[in-house]
Amino acid sequence: MTRPSLYSLTLALPLLIWQLAFFAVPLIFLIAISFWTVRNFQMMPDLNFGNWERILTRSVFWDAYLRTAILATTSAVLTSAIAFPAAYAISFKLSERVKQWLIFVLIIPFFTSYLVRIYALQVFLSDEGIINAVLGMLGIGPFGMLNTTFGTLVGMVTLCLPLVILLQVFSLNFVNRDLVEAAHNLRCGRLRTVLAVIVPSARVGLVIAALFAFILSFGDFVSPLYLGGGNPPTLSILITDITKSGQQWPRAAVVALMMIGTLLSVAFAAITYAYKERGK
Amino acid sequence: MNMQTQVISDAIVRLEGVVKKFGEFTAVERADFEIGRGEFLAIMGSSGCGKTTTLRMLAGLEDPSEGDIYLDGQRVNGKATWDRDTPMVWQSLALFPFLTVQENVEFSLKMRGVGKVERAQRARIWLEKMQILEFAGRNISQLSGGQRQRVALARALVTEPKILLLDEPLSALDAHLKVRMQAVLSNLQKDLGITFVYVTHSMSEAFSMADRVVIMSRGKIEQIGTPQEIYHAPRNRFVAEFLGSANIFTGKLVEKAGDVWQVETAHGRFAVKASQAVAKSVGDTLSFVVSAEKMQIGALGAGVAGIRARVVGEEFVGASAILFLETESGEELKVQKSHGELASIDLHSGSTLTLHWEPEACHVLPGE
Repeated sequence: MTRPSLYSLTLALPLLIWQLAFFAVPLIFLIAISFWTVRNFQMMPDLNFGNWERILTRSVFWDAYLRTAILATTSAVLTSAIAFPAAYAISFKLSERVKQWLIFVLIIPFFTSYLVRIYALQVFLSDEGIINAVLGMLGIGPFGMLNTTFGTLVGMVTLCLPLVILLQVFSLNFVNRDLVEAAHNLRCGRLRTVLAVIVPSARVGLVIAALFAFILSFGDFVSPLYLGGGNPPTLSILITDITKSGQQWPRAAVVALMMIGTLLSVAFAAITYAYKERGK
Repeated sequence: MNMQTQVISDAIVRLEGVVKKFGEFTAVERADFEIGRGEFLAIMGSSGCGKTTTLRMLAGLEDPSEGDIYLDGQRVNGKATWDRDTPMVWQSLALFPFLTVQENVEFSLKMRGVGKVERAQRARIWLEKMQILEFAGRNISQLSGGQRQRVALARALVTEPKILLLDEPLSALDAHLKVRMQAVLSNLQKDLGITFVYVTHSMSEAFSMADRVVIMSRGKIEQIGTPQEIYHAPRNRFVAEFLGSANIFTGKLVEKAGDVWQVETAHGRFAVKASQAVAKSVGDTLSFVVSAEKMQIGALGAGVAGIRARVVGEEFVGASAILFLETESGEELKVQKSHGELASIDLHSGSTLTLHWEPEACHVLPGE
C-alpha cells in the first residue's frame, strides 16, 4: 500500500466530514445511550448493562429478529429472482435505444415517495381492493392480502425491485461478450450459458444487488407496518414500540445496534463471497 | 477468379458464394474456397477486411446472408455453434475467470455430459501436452500471457476436433513470445494433423506458419495461394502493395517477342519476362512488379533501361538495408541490398542513383 497523497486526502475530505458528522458521531452516541439508565421517564448517563441483558434475554426480541431476517432474506431472493430475467433481457437482448428508455422507465418509481406508493398498494391489496375486485369478477376470493406477510413482501419487493434491476443491468453490461460466445462455441446451450457463465461472471454485481435488497428490507419500517399490520412486529417496529413505552431509548438503542451489527456482518460476508477467487 | 475455385481432393470446409451483410454493410462480398483436411490455412488482411467474419461463419457465430458453407461434406448454414464441432480460440482468449485452469479445459467435456473422472483425466492429458499441468488448480488471473494461450488451446482441443479456428490469438503477446508460440502452434498442427484456420493481420505470422494464405481486402478475396506463390507472384496491385517489398510499374504493352514483352512506362521502355498465365495483347495496359531485393544499382549494360531516383531514406533490416527512393515524378521505390553492397556506393540522403533490373526479375500482375 502506498501512502495516500495530501492531494487525494483533500479530495476525500468532504466525504470524511459528512461520514464523521452523520454516521460515526451518531453511532458512537447510540452506543453510549445503550448503557444509559431511564429513571422517571428521564435518561441519565450511566454504564448500565441491564438494557442489553433485558433485550437479549427476551423471546419477543429474538422472535422479531428471526422474523425480520427471514423477511429480508426472502425479499432479497425474491427480488433478485424477479429482477434477473428482466435485467438479462435489457442487457443482452435489447438494442441500445430501447435499453436507455427502459433504464429511464426503471428510475420513474424513485420519483414518488415510498410512503405514497405504499398507501397506493393498500388500495390494491385490501379486502375490498382492486385485486380482490378483479378476482371477485372471476368468482374467486376475496383473499386477505393486507396485514399479512404476503403484504409485507409485496411492499419490500416493490421497494427494492427498481434498484436491484438497475444494479443487475449494470453488472451484466460488464460481462465480457466473448465469454458468452466462447461458452456457446464449447457446446454450452443458451439457458445453460446463463447459469454457467453469465451468472458467475456477474457474481459481484448480483450479490451486491441482493445485499442492497436485504439491507433495505431488513430496516424497512413502512411495509411491515402499513401492509403487514405491524403485529407481530419486525425489529424496526419493535424499536418504535420500545421508545413509546416509557421513553426506553437505551433499550431501543440496543435493538438498533443489533440491527447495525447484523447488517455489517451480512454485508461483510456477502462481499467476501462476491469477491472470492477460485483456485490457488 | 479461377484460382479461387481451385479443387482440393479432400476438403473439410467448402465455402460456396458466401456473402455476409450487416444491414447496409457488406462484410464478406463473396467467398468461394475450400480448406483441405489437415491444412494450416491463414486468412490475412487489415482490420475490417472480413477475415474475422469469415472465421465466425465457420464457427457458427454468424450465419451467411447468401451462399452455403459445408463442413465435412454437410451443409451447416443455420446450425448453431453449439451443434458444430468447430472450437475457436479468441483474440481475447475468452477464458472463464471464475473457473480454474483445469475447469476451463474440462468445460466443453462437461457440457457434453462426460463423467467427472474421465473429464479430469482428459483435461489433464491436454494440460500435460501444453506443458501447463502444474497450473491445473490455478486461477486464470495468475497466469502469464503465454500460459493463458496454452490454456485456451487446451480448452479448444480437449474434444479432439477435426478443425480449430484461431482469431488473432497471438496479437496480445510481445514479439519474442509471439515467435515461440508460432512454433508451438506450427508443431501442434503437424502433430495433431488437424485443420487450423488462422486469422491474422500479420504477414509474418501467416507466411511463417500457413500452408496456404487467403488475402482479403474490403470483404473480397484478393488471392489464395502458398506463401511462396503469393510472395513471388502476387495477383494484383493490392496484394503486391500489401506485401510491401515490391516496386510496381504500369505501362502499355507495345511488343511481344515470345515471352519477353516490351512495356512502355512513364520511365521509359522495359523488357519484361511474362509468364504464360497472363492474357494480354499488344496495346493493353499492364502492371508489373520488381521486388526490392531484385533491384540493381548503378552501371547499366548496353541497351538496358534504367530509372534515376533520389535517395530519401534508409531502413536497417538485419543483414541488409532497405533504401527508399523517389523518382522525378514522385513515385516511391524500394531497394533491398546487403550492407556490403551498399558500402561500395556513394550514398547519402539526396544522392541520385540509377536503378535497373533483369527482365526475369519482373512479375506481371495477372489481375490488373
